[in-house]
Amino acid sequence: MQRVIGGILILTATTGAGYVYCRELKAYLEKMLYLRYVFSLIKGEIAYTHAPLPEIFTEVARRVKKPYRTWLLETAQAVEMREESGFARAWSRCADRYLKPLGLKQEHSILMKEPGTFLGSLEQDTLDHTLQMYLNRVDLEIEKLRESLAAKTRIGRCLGVMSGIFLIVILI
Amino acid sequence: MERSDRKQKTGRDGQILSILAKSVRRIIQEDAGGLEGLQEIRLRTGQPVRIVRGNREKILPSESDPHIITKEEVRETMDYISHYSLYAYENELRQGFLTIEGGHRVGVAGKVIMERDKVKNIQYISSVNIRISHEVIGCADGLLPYITKNKQVCHTLIISPPCCGKTTLIRDLIRQISDGNQYVKGCSVGVVDERSELGGCYLGIAQNHLGSRTDILDCCPKAEGMIMLIRSMAPQVIAVDEIGTSEDIHAIEYAMQCGCKLIASVHGLDMEEAKKKPVLGELIRRRMFERYVVLGNEEHPGEIRGIYDERGSVLCRE
Repeated sequence: MQRVIGGILILTATTGAGYVYCRELKAYLEKMLYLRYVFSLIKGEIAYTHAPLPEIFTEVARRVKKPYRTWLLETAQAVEMREESGFARAWSRCADRYLKPLGLKQEHSILMKEPGTFLGSLEQDTLDHTLQMYLNRVDLEIEKLRESLAAKTRIGRCLGVMSGIFLIVILI
Repeated sequence: MERSDRKQKTGRDGQILSILAKSVRRIIQEDAGGLEGLQEIRLRTGQPVRIVRGNREKILPSESDPHIITKEEVRETMDYISHYSLYAYENELRQGFLTIEGGHRVGVAGKVIMERDKVKNIQYISSVNIRISHEVIGCADGLLPYITKNKQVCHTLIISPPCCGKTTLIRDLIRQISDGNQYVKGCSVGVVDERSELGGCYLGIAQNHLGSRTDILDCCPKAEGMIMLIRSMAPQVIAVDEIGTSEDIHAIEYAMQCGCKLIASVHGLDMEEAKKKPVLGELIRRRMFERYVVLGNEEHPGEIRGIYDERGSVLCRE
């Protein structure tokens, strides 16, 4: 009886782990989609209001949830304080500190910091085009994630169940 | 609101220092003897830091050992001035200057980019001239009795060369007319602040004291703004700084015909020069303005050289 209960528990635990892995993959995709949404808001605000970056960030921060809100507000403050030498440094530092909870992969973290290199230094038309190109690149990354999501989800679920059965066979 | 409050707390000195490159900031803090009375800070690539105080120029830290401005320092200053957002100031840069929080004006020079025979932008900025805005409360005290009749303001044109304090004077006039005093009954004043110099608005809130009955249209073209104010805010007095284009003059005429009193300023040396201006001269000849105030800065900025009535008769001369 104990063996049966133990086996059921192992199977439940590994299947659960597989399920959690799948959910994390989906959550990661949602984070990337939300970041894309934030950047599209920034692009829209720049094109519509032509306001300086701190005002843009403050305005966009009102419309997004945490931790994106904190990140934008802190970036706005860092820019207003004019303490950092260069916008890229302020942007990069704030992204590192306030977007840490998102747990972005290294390549996506680098992608996130890229706007720091062009946001503050281009004239209106060029900035608009560069932001559009950047959004296209984010779209591409999202597409890659989406494509791999179905396969990874299937593998995750199967592995969860199979590893449970494997453990049961070994232990029993 | 919190952000606006924080900005206000930084004060005038903070507003000026925070836009300077760090190395220049240190020199100004240590060697300029404070920011009190400072009129201009001039930064030119490859040239020493120069400040103007009391109409006298000074090289910093000293004549014998000047700090030479580098390209990077000018670039850093421009980054700070624009909040790393030069794209947001393209329209202003096209005119050769931009206005920062507190109403301070920053003039720039560099390589001009042309598009279809018009200035599109300025690139490779090599010279920056920071003109510090001064709020001199009460500087219009002596003028007010001459430009009011029966506690009502007269249509007034202030004629002044650059750097003679006309913006400072208009700002104090607006405040006194708006709040009211023994010479004028407090009334609603509409201000079209095309370059944010009068109100020094930050996020739409005036940083300078313009009175309790004042409505400000910030960053709005003067001609359009005057008509918008008449339609929307029903001001009794409209104030505009540095009129120049024929559209401005036509809007002034329209506002006068709508029953609003006008206070405006224009660049010029004296009455004769103002009369020679193509469209404005016509208004003067038609005696549309009831008072003319000519400013100078031979002894001090804001010095009133003469006040004239609509016929050009002298009411007061210093």
